[in-house]
Amino acid sequence: MLRIEHLTKKYGGKTAVDDISLHIAPGEIYGFIGHNGAGKTTTLKSAVGILDFDEGEIFIDGVSVRNDPLEAKRRLAYIPDNPDLYDFMSGIKYLNFIADVFGVSAAARQERIRELAERFKLTADLAQPIASYSHGMKQKLALISAFLHEPRLILMDEPFVGLDPTASHLLKQMMRELCDRGGAIFFSTHVLEVAEKLCDKVAIIKNGRLIRSGTMEEVKGDDSLEEVFLELEEK
Amino acid sequence: MLGTMIKKQLMEIFRGYFYDAKKNKARSKGATILLIVLFALLMFGLLGGMFYAMASSLCGPLYAFGLDWLYFALTGLVALFLGIFGGVFNTFTGLYLAKDNDLLLSMPIPVRTIVAARLVTVYLMGLLYSGIVIIPAVIVYWTTVRPGAAQIVGGILIVLLVSAIVLVLTCLLGYGVARLSVKLKNKSYFTTIIALLGVGLYYFFYFKATELIQDFLNNLTVYAEKVEKNLGFMKTFGQVGTGEWVPMAVSVAAVFALCAVTWIILLKSFTKIATASNSGTKAVYKEKTAKMQSLSRALGRKEMNRFTASANYMLNTGLPLLFVLVAAGALFIKGREIMPVLESVFGGVPGLIPVLLIGMLCGLSAMTDPVVPSVSLEGKSLWILQSLPVDPWEILKAKMLLQLKITVPVLLLAAVGAGYAIQADPLEWLFLILIPLLSAVLYAAFGLMLGLKFVNLTWTNEIYPIKQSLSVLVYMLLGMAYGAAVIGLYFLGGIGLGPELYLTIVTAVTALLAFLLLLWLKKKGAARFAEL
Repeated sequence: MLRIEHLTKKYGGKTAVDDISLHIAPGEIYGFIGHNGAGKTTTLKSAVGILDFDEGEIFIDGVSVRNDPLEAKRRLAYIPDNPDLYDFMSGIKYLNFIADVFGVSAAARQERIRELAERFKLTADLAQPIASYSHGMKQKLALISAFLHEPRLILMDEPFVGLDPTASHLLKQMMRELCDRGGAIFFSTHVLEVAEKLCDKVAIIKNGRLIRSGTMEEVKGDDSLEEVFLELEEK
Repeated sequence: MLGTMIKKQLMEIFRGYFYDAKKNKARSKGATILLIVLFALLMFGLLGGMFYAMASSLCGPLYAFGLDWLYFALTGLVALFLGIFGGVFNTFTGLYLAKDNDLLLSMPIPVRTIVAARLVTVYLMGLLYSGIVIIPAVIVYWTTVRPGAAQIVGGILIVLLVSAIVLVLTCLLGYGVARLSVKLKNKSYFTTIIALLGVGLYYFFYFKATELIQDFLNNLTVYAEKVEKNLGFMKTFGQVGTGEWVPMAVSVAAVFALCAVTWIILLKSFTKIATASNSGTKAVYKEKTAKMQSLSRALGRKEMNRFTASANYMLNTGLPLLFVLVAAGALFIKGREIMPVLESVFGGVPGLIPVLLIGMLCGLSAMTDPVVPSVSLEGKSLWILQSLPVDPWEILKAKMLLQLKITVPVLLLAAVGAGYAIQADPLEWLFLILIPLLSAVLYAAFGLMLGLKFVNLTWTNEIYPIKQSLSVLVYMLLGMAYGAAVIGLYFLGGIGLGPELYLTIVTAVTALLAFLLLLWLKKKGAARFAEL
């Protein structure tokens, strides 16, 4: 579903991501962990086509992000670490805008917005301007917009930040549902307990380099993910 | 602490002069100086020059009648009006809507320091606008009276007092707008309508100025008596400029008291207003089937939504359209009457009148510029467009179309008015419509190119990209210069070619420039947008 091959990204003289290769298969929830500034966001933004990269290749469902970015983007959804949405729109206008961009039919969007907004308990606030939303409400709206066009792959940067426990639980459930339908999730997090419980596979990045990746069992063995992470960080 | 805060405020306002966002590095000293000189030339050379001429026509007669206090009372009033007009919108957004209000309030910074730092920038803006009027007035007075120490002190003092009164009044008006905006639902439209009324009044007096000044000069003593009798404080205030010590002391004390009261009001209300949520009636969501839109339509609606959601954006970039609309109305109603006058003045130059009208229409349309800050206004939400399956060229087209949607209908109306007024022949009709339309496309493309070149995505207040960016200044100057060039070049060779051939060349050049810019936007501009 998502294949990252030898990705290298530099900012001026500084290498932010150094020769990373990852493969996220359909049905997998793939966690991405690392210290602040390790290169998680840069990797995610490169995979989404927001950032150009210096070396390597990224394929979404076999489509090259570099050569055919629009086709690649049609198959995915992205949620950044800070949901800066269009403050000048209402929630419903924003969702309709996203649905228009992805060509979601009127009937389909109505049904999906109804269902997703109900699940995230945001229906009553959809007519309100986004400017009046709290951080958590913006995050919920960003999540609804991500699921709205039924993408096969969702990339998320710290998706649980700002969510209340109910929404957080719902998101985990929806991530699993998407993967059960053959989709895939690639997300970064600092909450190692969540990663440990939720992810099928995990990758640990340090100073731009991938230092360990694989199934949860392969990465952590008999230890907890936190112990493994801290041990690797200290090396 | 206050110094640090003021430094932050000033850095934010003048960032464009010192920092090149495209190259992501500081500008050279030479480039910075050049930009500052350009800005100073526009503000003090062009606008200041205009008010210098006005002051010159008033000062001599008033001084001769011993009514120099009235001279300062009048010029002070004009300065106040311009200062308030220029600063009131900044004050509301700068004080209460700055995006870093929450951050600053969470830090161990006294509220008074935050307010004081914000007020410094409001004051500077007021000083800039009022200074354009009152400084030339003081200079004219000094050159007329050969000033002593008292007049010099008085001159400096009146500049400072006027700017302080501007600060007080803009703050109180900004406070009023802030109080209202907390309760209003469609505040962008409300603010726009109020501002338009203000602008209407301003221009009513502006266009009546010559008549008013003449009437005033003809009845100097009568007006002076009336002002002295009914508005005694204006005499006291005017006497500051003439160097009377007692009025100076009284005025300083009065303005100081006004400042103190304003300071107390702002300080008491700042946190409450700055942190108020939009507590207007909550909009109730009613589910309905939304019609599916094409991509280009969806992007166009998004741009229009952004435009209509912000009074600042609408007023600062769309307001000049009102002038085109007024010009169109005037051409329809009075055009046929104006024509004989134009004929008597320019009739000696064959074919000049249509060229003149076309050049003016081009120049007027260059004053409307929503496309220029549109890229910067994406700000932190830029990731949305960049992560969606949308060709950047489609995004850029939507931004240009916003400008065309609001300028073209008004421009067409003015062109038809012009054609009607001069009773144009078919070829003149063609040029009157085609050239302004092509120039509208040219300006939209040019504005977008500037917006991409001088992009600022890290603003904390939308007023900075909308009003105070370098790209806006360059756009207006070069845009109006293009309109002027259409007229000027006619004298420098166009007459010899004849109006038909000359206007054909203008059409071709405008079309070619527009085409080249569109080509640049499609290739390099789209790539630049994707890389932002």
